[in-house]
Amino acid sequence: MISKFQIAYQNLLRKKARTSLTLIGITLSSWVLVSLLGFNRGYENALDHDIDNMGYQLMVMAKGCPYEAATMMLQGGAGLRYIEQSMVDSIVNRPEVDEVTPILMQAFFDPDKGDGGGIAGYYGIELASYPGMKPFLRFHQGGWFRDEKAAEAVMGYEAAELEQRVVGDMILVPEKNVQLKVVGILERTGTQDDGTIFVPLKTLQQISGIDQITTIGIKIKTDADSTKLETALYQLPDVQVVSFTQVKQTIMKLISTARIMVLSIAIIAVLIAMVGVVNTILMSVLERTQEIGILKTMGAMPGDIFRLVWTETLILCSCGAIAGIALAFVFARISDLLMRSVLPYAPVGELVAIDLKLALLTLVTIVGVGLASGIYPAWKAGRVRPLDSIRSEG
Amino acid sequence: MRPMLRQWKFVFSLSLLFLSVFATPLSAAISCELNYPAGDVARLFPDSNGFTTSDFSFSGRGGAPLLRKVEARLGGVPALYAPLDVPYVLYEVLKGKKRVGYVHGVNQKGQFGVLEVFLSLDLNGTIKAFYLQRISGAWGRKFTSPRFGKQFVGLDLRDFEQYDTVAAKGTGKVASIANPAPEAKTDFLGILRALKKNLVLMDEFFYSAGKGAQ
Amino acid sequence: MTTQNDISLGARGLTRVYRRGSEEIRALDGVSLQIRRGEFVSFMGPSGSGKTTLVNLLGCLDNPTEGELDLAGKSIFGAGRILPERELTKVRREVFGYIFQNFYLIPTLTVRENVALPLAFYRKPGAEGEVERLLRLLGMGHRMNHLPGQISGGEMQRVAIARALVNRPEILLADEPTGNLDTKRSGEIGEVLQDLNKNAGLTVVMVSHNPTLARLGGRLVEMRDGRAYES
Repeated sequence: MISKFQIAYQNLLRKKARTSLTLIGITLSSWVLVSLLGFNRGYENALDHDIDNMGYQLMVMAKGCPYEAATMMLQGGAGLRYIEQSMVDSIVNRPEVDEVTPILMQAFFDPDKGDGGGIAGYYGIELASYPGMKPFLRFHQGGWFRDEKAAEAVMGYEAAELEQRVVGDMILVPEKNVQLKVVGILERTGTQDDGTIFVPLKTLQQISGIDQITTIGIKIKTDADSTKLETALYQLPDVQVVSFTQVKQTIMKLISTARIMVLSIAIIAVLIAMVGVVNTILMSVLERTQEIGILKTMGAMPGDIFRLVWTETLILCSCGAIAGIALAFVFARISDLLMRSVLPYAPVGELVAIDLKLALLTLVTIVGVGLASGIYPAWKAGRVRPLDSIRSEG
Repeated sequence: MRPMLRQWKFVFSLSLLFLSVFATPLSAAISCELNYPAGDVARLFPDSNGFTTSDFSFSGRGGAPLLRKVEARLGGVPALYAPLDVPYVLYEVLKGKKRVGYVHGVNQKGQFGVLEVFLSLDLNGTIKAFYLQRISGAWGRKFTSPRFGKQFVGLDLRDFEQYDTVAAKGTGKVASIANPAPEAKTDFLGILRALKKNLVLMDEFFYSAGKGAQ
Repeated sequence: MTTQNDISLGARGLTRVYRRGSEEIRALDGVSLQIRRGEFVSFMGPSGSGKTTLVNLLGCLDNPTEGELDLAGKSIFGAGRILPERELTKVRREVFGYIFQNFYLIPTLTVRENVALPLAFYRKPGAEGEVERLLRLLGMGHRMNHLPGQISGGEMQRVAIARALVNRPEILLADEPTGNLDTKRSGEIGEVLQDLNKNAGLTVVMVSHNPTLARLGGRLVEMRDGRAYES
């Protein structure tokens, strides 16, 4: 016996070219929609991961024009403004603070790096406090420095890979020509740490000829009032307070315009595809008016015809949506690369995160919108009167 | 509004800072590429007028057995990081539509950092030019000078096969290459090893496979 | 709708008026007649005579402007009542099977699937078994898996007849069933209808231009200017 589903399916096969083109439209719009929804989630997840990986929630940095600092860093030289290390003491005793760690970020010009030279960046950290903030850091080889003044370095995985270093090898700090021994290489973290070279704070201060720091990382106690702490820290002279929640919000705001625009495009793509669906089904109904009339003489109720035509819409939208979602999964990496090339800042990690839940959401959305669009052609088909459609000689 | 704007700018810059200063390429394995291909190829192959770029790796051409064969030819010293996946970039040099040679680079461990050693080769595998793109250390200039590089012009794989780059002993033309910086013996030997690795790879992937000659 | 032994169609004063702009066309003008169970009635007449309009009303494909229609004693149309499409469909699927000049087979379904098509919407008990039985009865047993594009016109009409009968209707309405067939095939279809009427007791109501075909049944009604004349 033949079912209504089979009848609907066979009807779609009667005009293969038309059905294929409509399917392609739905597939493309589904692909775009699910990729963009995946990007929305992936970006935020990746950003959260990057930020969580910092180990601390607040940073205190020297006040000064930020653009200048950034430009000077990019073009070479230690153009950063500094803060006094004694500031650490005024922060660590605050009731909201769990731990603090002083950090010195320094950059040296390396004439042999890249085309015309480049920056080599170093992170001076305090052995007593920094590793404790990041207990999740694992070592591929070796471990942390032996003391706070050692002429030693710990390298991120990719920094070590780039320079072909293993534990026991030496590296040279350019400009200053100071040799450091590699004592540890970290496992890949998928964050900025992979490209970082860590050096004991005092060692880096000595190399740079300064006794100041650039940043203080602050870990807040679990139930503490971070806003209160931020406000108090703002009172400290010549410093900026940055919370990573703020950084995240700012970055999200930076790309939010792009997100909204791109999401709008996805929605428009879906609507255009649906117009295609309505057109296809409606044309099909108008071409089959006589046939629908005959079906009614066979005993098909208006509701049967409505469901039959609606099933055609359902098949088109489901197949198109599934194909689009499958393509999105397959090409997720390419979508990722595309996004990275366009965005001003892209966190490390999977930018386009498509999972089953998202796929189902897209499927439901496309099918839902499709079924809503398909109501009119289906209703029109249901209203066909057999006599109006069957040719008669009266 | 103004303080908020400053804060926003600051945080934006911070983000750029993270990205530009501390970020490194995220490729799974680091490849050896020319920093400025158009200019570099023209300089290394003066009578060329174009080039194409392709890449190859062990995992694409023979896998672990081939890697072991190459390492045996180099004296049994295993490579450092993810050798199977490392993509080797090959620049095929053209004159008109005709292929006239290759430019190819390898990474090698040096004393304070990586050595990036490039060779330009003719279709028979003879060295036409030597280019040290990267070296760390005060003695860097001594190895990047034209005087040092000229010593390699005209050599080929046969010359390097007479020299053990692990033991630093051997005969023939390679043995008579002068070290311009006796204080940098590690880097000097590293450069020789890189050259041999370069030639062996080219031999295994192209010349012996019959792809080198026109 | 329950079937009764002496099912018949009883029409009284059936009138159908069409409005085209300000113009009124009286396609059927007060026709009254009775059709008994097992009869084979043919309607003949020139174009515009009202024969198809009458058969459409008898077959519950349309509502009359005036008049009454009974089916086995039960009133279908009457006292100015208009039946909605739903109700007409219910009556149609219980009692009637239809075949037309243009066969109207679905080109992407096989012969067997075309015959089984009505069962997707309405199925009388035991109707599934009728599909293959009817196809064999009508000489199409060897073509069950063919597509309509692979069979002749005469064969297509046989399939249409099988489809019309799959739900065991009491009355078969045939509107110009041989209009698209040559003489030979027309004759074959005529024989099929005659056979179904005589041996299966099927009531046949047919409209035809073809005098030979029209005279196959026991009763001929001529239509002129919306009125019926029996010979």
